[in-house]
Amino acid sequence: MADTVNQAARKGFLVDTARCIGCRSCQVACKQWNKLDADKTVNQGTFENPRDLTPALYNRIRFVEKESSGAVIWQFINERCMQCGDAGCMKVCPSPGALYRTKDGIIAYNKEKCISCKYCVSACPFGIPRYDSDNKVSKCNLCQSRIEGGMTPACAKACPTETLKFGKRSDLIAKARAAKKTLYGVDDLNGLGVVYALEGPPEQYGLPAKPSIPLSIFLWKDVIKPLGILGFWGSIGAMLLHYVTIGPKKIDDDGNDKGARHE
Amino acid sequence: MSKYIERFSPSERVLHWVVTCSFFTLLFTGLGLYSRLFHGYFGLFGGGQNAIFIHKVGGVIFFFSSLYMFINHKKDVSSFDDADWQWIRKYGGYLTKYGTHFDIGKYNPGQKLFAVFIAAATLLLGVTGLFIWMPTAFPRWIVQLSLMTHGLMFVGAIMFVVVHVYLATIGNPGTIEAMLYGAVRKIWAKKHHPKWYKDVTGENP
Repeated sequence: MADTVNQAARKGFLVDTARCIGCRSCQVACKQWNKLDADKTVNQGTFENPRDLTPALYNRIRFVEKESSGAVIWQFINERCMQCGDAGCMKVCPSPGALYRTKDGIIAYNKEKCISCKYCVSACPFGIPRYDSDNKVSKCNLCQSRIEGGMTPACAKACPTETLKFGKRSDLIAKARAAKKTLYGVDDLNGLGVVYALEGPPEQYGLPAKPSIPLSIFLWKDVIKPLGILGFWGSIGAMLLHYVTIGPKKIDDDGNDKGARHE
Repeated sequence: MSKYIERFSPSERVLHWVVTCSFFTLLFTGLGLYSRLFHGYFGLFGGGQNAIFIHKVGGVIFFFSSLYMFINHKKDVSSFDDADWQWIRKYGGYLTKYGTHFDIGKYNPGQKLFAVFIAAATLLLGVTGLFIWMPTAFPRWIVQLSLMTHGLMFVGAIMFVVVHVYLATIGNPGTIEAMLYGAVRKIWAKKHHPKWYKDVTGENP
């Protein structure tokens, strides 16, 4: 039941951060299409708003404020589910069909099958999944219904600067490479479905330099789980073997029959 | 003169079976969480969400009853003497067909190890279980480490329990009577726990 992604058929985003003007049309379009409620926010002295993803906010613009020779520079990055090729959430999800990969390589979800264990929250390399008030998983699924209808996701449709480019993943990467962009996420985690063209080191944008499935999650699911199943059957086998070879310590066996074998 | 001597009081027996029932409840509700291979076990409880709820209730019962059981037996399982060393050196006589004698008290080193391991596992499973219960209330690394530790301690516990069940039933005939009726046959006590037999009856085994 291992999750495999068909690289040739993958669709995804190329997020060209240099083009982003921080208008947040993507945030609004997403809310509109996915019928998500507004989140109440507070002014915290920044234009970045909201400050984090919520169960009703599948993508947002993170504002990176830098100082350069006395002037403030803004960099914007669209933050959302990365649609990892090797996805921590799918690795740990105990409910088949709650999180699943579509033929386009997108990680979609079915709230009715979600059992509210929240394992995906802990396993995500990027800390993306959120739980709504019904205690069910929520995150960006690249507007699964729109993609299946041959449309682009709402955010990409709304983006006025073509920062968010949606299409066949391999084509998008080839074009960005031809334009000499510095790409993030081409090979990490078996390729992210959301690839970024960055203008600086990933850390500057709040992205992990080498994203990976957390070590303890890997040990839990890929080492302890299989070895545990082996250990369980192994101990049952060992007990049965003991019973038929050495045998039980019988109560009426007084232990003085050393070497004396009865018929 | 009775053929039997008392090994476990009614309250000790009830406590043991409370621990047992909660353990197996946790096992069957938890299997589906352990691996998708065991997803079918959720069906016994009407779905994964119910199984998780029962797992939490069972976890609280197991945590307190198991720790209480350990505290009750702490004195008997934390001692160690020469006969225990003898027992360990000869693997308790379990690797030979021939009868072996050790001057063992109420519990042998294997039983002591089992008690201490289960107590430690109970503590760890309980604490990590609390983090897994409310993952968004704690830092991610704590929950990640907890998920791993919870799985690891479960594996250790289930392997120990397989051995425990074998040795307490078909591996050592007569043993389970202690946990069912409270009394064991004297001949059993003389064979397996001669020092305890002497302590209780005052007779030399």
